[in-house]
Amino acid sequence: MRQEHFVKRHQPEWNAFEQWLDARGQQVKRARMSRRQWHGLADHEMPARYRRLCQQLALARRRGYSPLVTDRLQQLMQRGHGLLYRTPPPRWRRVVEFLLAGFPRLVRAERGCMAASALLFWLPLLVVFVAIQLTPELSSSLFDPAQLMQFESMYDPDDPLRKLGRDNGTDVAMFGHYVWNNVSIGFRTFASGLLAGIGAVVVLIVNGIMIGGVAGHLQAVGHGDPFWRFVAAHSAPELTAIVIAGGAGLRLGLNLVAPGQRRRIDALVDGGRRGALLCLGVLAMLVFAAFVEAFWSSIAWMPAWIKYSVGAALWTLTLLWLWRGGRNHDLAEVGETA
Amino acid sequence: MLDTYREVVTPEGVALHLPAAGPVPRALAWLLDLMIRFGIVFVAAMVLGVLGRSGAGFNAVVLFLVYWFYPVLFEALWDGRTPGKRTLGLRVVAANGAPVGWLAAFTRNLLRVVDMLPFGYAAGLVSSLFDPWGRRIGDMVAGTLVVHDVRAQTPSPTPVDHVMAPPVALQPYEQAALVSFAERGPRLTQARQEELAEFATPLTGARGTLAVTRLYGMANWLLGRR
Repeated sequence: MRQEHFVKRHQPEWNAFEQWLDARGQQVKRARMSRRQWHGLADHEMPARYRRLCQQLALARRRGYSPLVTDRLQQLMQRGHGLLYRTPPPRWRRVVEFLLAGFPRLVRAERGCMAASALLFWLPLLVVFVAIQLTPELSSSLFDPAQLMQFESMYDPDDPLRKLGRDNGTDVAMFGHYVWNNVSIGFRTFASGLLAGIGAVVVLIVNGIMIGGVAGHLQAVGHGDPFWRFVAAHSAPELTAIVIAGGAGLRLGLNLVAPGQRRRIDALVDGGRRGALLCLGVLAMLVFAAFVEAFWSSIAWMPAWIKYSVGAALWTLTLLWLWRGGRNHDLAEVGETA
Repeated sequence: MLDTYREVVTPEGVALHLPAAGPVPRALAWLLDLMIRFGIVFVAAMVLGVLGRSGAGFNAVVLFLVYWFYPVLFEALWDGRTPGKRTLGLRVVAANGAPVGWLAAFTRNLLRVVDMLPFGYAAGLVSSLFDPWGRRIGDMVAGTLVVHDVRAQTPSPTPVDHVMAPPVALQPYEQAALVSFAERGPRLTQARQEELAEFATPLTGARGTLAVTRLYGMANWLLGRR
């Protein structure tokens, strides 16, 4: 068939297809609103029309029609493909489902990396803490004197009216600061795992040493009580989230170093997908932790036993959630949730 | 590294054409986005500055959102284009040519952390020079690709209404070359048209203006205008 005949015969179809793309293929909300005014192609006809267009494109290619025709068909095809194969929009129900069930399952699925990450974080923390109790001078080799002064003034037991863990700044200001600071650390911990896992290992160990150092120093100079009252509640979501981000980073690094029987790029894409899902959970945990830290942990007048019970409850809940969450769920695949 | 064109065969058996974008337009788009982000942070700081100390908290949240989620939101909601990419005619797509999803957009922007190492996106630049489709490390892990947006072509009217049968049977690719010459020729200068047409002197047996006219005539014949 000559090109002109081909074009003449199919032109109306192509125009209808293009009109549909222009009018209905854009935003879902707008398309739904203008549903009644639409008199062109019916939506359910689209897949069939799209396949027909693909066949016409293949024919036009095979017969060596001019670039003008094939380019037009190619463009229509690419637009149609983009529309038919787009990912569905996220739903709120699925977000809740992911946080309650999918995320703990994903964490448990990576239990090896999570255990390694926890070890890399908690071991330096405890070692430094114990070491400073035995030889208090050690803390001055970790921090310079100005920093030590600042820590001490933030948890001064002789000043019971001021807020715990604060130099200055209101609750809201500190909330913003914690979100920005902690979530950025969490995300960086994951992403730096791509450097063969070394980045994540370094971040975990350094954070462990720093936190252990601060806790050890305050305990050693006798400011332990306000410090523990401050960290009791928010430490559960915060430290667990950092460990999980580190575990996701280790997984990514491991997939780079030892892809197993897959192509390296496939292993990386898989690690990246799981890691990004884990990061979404880490984001939620850290925002929650920032909320607790800013509005609850800093309250100084609260009796210690309430603070410690809330802390214990949050630790129990966090671990229980990660251990049991999503056990009774028969979701086919965790990755499908997002 | 030289051929940046990626063809992906869809389930329907036709190929998607994905012209991968190199580091220069991407860096320019990134710079534009950076300026927009600075603008947003600046305006937010001015407005929230009125609120005093708690304003600083909201400001930190704005900073957080702009730093980590500005590209994610635009890429996921606006067909893979941030304002900067839109200006430069770029688009992020999945490696199989489908639109980029939320998770992939999130992944590729999280991993900017690695591409930025050790300074100024050096790792991303090196990786995009070595990758056949100019992807930075974050793109590889997220399974995405930055492509040039295909521009729409305006069809040109047929230049002459003269018809002439080619003296010999032509191969399909030769026919395609002739027809595309006829379609694009009118947009060139007369001298350039003649220069191009004279490559086909063995076919037309003519030079100068006559060669151009004869080629147009053969194109008309091939298009079935008889």
